Amino acid sequence: MAVVESAERTSSTAVSLRSLAPYLAACLVVGFGLFPLYMMITTSLKTDHEAFAWPPVWVFTPTFHSYLGALFGFGGRRADHYVFNSLLITLASSALAVSLGAMAAYGLARFRFRGNRDIAFYILSTRFAPPVAFIVPIYLMVQRSGLLDNALALVIVYTSMNLSLVTWVLRGFFLDIPIEIEEAALIDGYSRWQIFLRVALPLVRPGLAATAILSVIFSWNEFLFASILAPGYAATIPVYLAGFSASMNIDWAEYMAVGTLAVLPIMIFTLVLQRHLVRGLTFGAVR
Amino acid sequence: MVTAKRADHLTAMLLIAPAVLVLLTINLYPFLYALYISAHTYTLGRPAPPRYIGLSNYFDLLDDDRFANALWVSFKFVAIAVSVEFLLGFALAFLFNIKLRGLVTLRKIAILPILVMPLASGLIWFYILNENFGALNWFATLLGASERIQFLTGDRLALFSLVLADAWQWTPFVMLVMFAALQSIPEYVYEAAKMDGLGKWQTFWRVTLPLLAPAIWVIVVLRIVDAFRMIELIYLMTRGGPGGATETLSWYIYSTGFLSQDLGYAAAQAVVMIIVISIVAQIFVRRLEYRE
Repeated sequence: MAVVESAERTSSTAVSLRSLAPYLAACLVVGFGLFPLYMMITTSLKTDHEAFAWPPVWVFTPTFHSYLGALFGFGGRRADHYVFNSLLITLASSALAVSLGAMAAYGLARFRFRGNRDIAFYILSTRFAPPVAFIVPIYLMVQRSGLLDNALALVIVYTSMNLSLVTWVLRGFFLDIPIEIEEAALIDGYSRWQIFLRVALPLVRPGLAATAILSVIFSWNEFLFASILAPGYAATIPVYLAGFSASMNIDWAEYMAVGTLAVLPIMIFTLVLQRHLVRGLTFGAVR
Repeated sequence: MVTAKRADHLTAMLLIAPAVLVLLTINLYPFLYALYISAHTYTLGRPAPPRYIGLSNYFDLLDDDRFANALWVSFKFVAIAVSVEFLLGFALAFLFNIKLRGLVTLRKIAILPILVMPLASGLIWFYILNENFGALNWFATLLGASERIQFLTGDRLALFSLVLADAWQWTPFVMLVMFAALQSIPEYVYEAAKMDGLGKWQTFWRVTLPLLAPAIWVIVVLRIVDAFRMIELIYLMTRGGPGGATETLSWYIYSTGFLSQDLGYAAAQAVVMIIVISIVAQIFVRRLEYRE
């Protein structure tokens, strides 16, 4: 009995020693990943003076002064207007992209017609269009239609930029549904539209969630089109954030406070809904 | 279910048409429009109408040292950043694949940088790498550096600073995808390899790696395309400087179009960029087509 016990004990210490290395490595990775975020959040809680002190201040009394300034305009600037713009544009374009994308995905997955594959691959290929290469013509188009500095222009552009991902990923999800379910519904007298809305859509809910999350992340984070198409009243959070870097005397604490406000919502939102993310991020190529 | 009746045809068209219309308007039309603009002199804010100049803009590109430099800088950035991200992310996928309690939580935290707004990543790294008060310079003095390191203002380090920020953000993405690919390999494959008497390394080279190959293709092509278009870090950290050391093709197009306001010339560069990307993207599309 005693012999067995001691044998068990040595093997468990050996295991814990061997597992120490992976833990250490993983902690190092996480530490490196979190350090910049730690810097951003702590700097946002410093006074303006502490924020660019040399040597850097590591121990300090946190103050929410920068957040009050950013949100309620003590320094003359207010982030709330831009947060609202971002929310509006993000939600509208994501809802549009998921709706139009789901329709197209279902049409491509379940109907046979000439050019089906060509359309599917054309939609996929738009994911690779480099935004900066399209910004000149799109700027001129938006200018000519009088939509410069109008939220609608960004909603349309973001919808189109999310469509390839939404369509392609959902097409994969629709193809995964056993076709017998829909055939049964057809025999029960459902129309094709009813089958789409009442049978197929509920079955791909995880896909809808994944593509909606990715659309939201993309639209919330997008900077290039926002800075060119909506530089003023309709500006979103990234454009507001970029404005700081242009000023002569940067208020680093407030800068970081706005940065934190820009980054945190997406993080919380996504951490809650992390499943199915990979399949979306790789266009269904990896599950 | 998959039928070809006329009513079904109409349904299919109605389902697909809205998405295709949006893409034709915001993707195909702008591309054709870029081709048109690239054949004109077209300056922002000048009342004179655009003037047709044929292929002049393209001929100018051939003599433009800044354009050649931009292509070279883009190539360097993409090659270095994607290599670093892939090798590290690949190794980390194996690390987090070890079955140990707690690693699941650590993995979920490790992917946080993916979600950060790219412009905010630029802001954070701009702050950390600052010559006058940045934390990294402070660490360097602790380690005995006698002079401040010019991470962003020195032409030797600037591009690597961009790689650092890019790798911080996207290595977890490679890890996440490779991890998912690893998890999708069923256990019995390894058991079979063991029964065949394959050692650890033999299993890796002959079993694991071939099974991961499709996912590797996908992630590498996606990273190449996205690193090539990256502009936010440059906007916030270096603005193409010092002396063009970080002026990628993306930044050159942006600055020609909207800082110098020479839209015709920017459009010609954009067309070249689209052609380069299309070649890379073909690889991706071919592989997906092959799997279908």
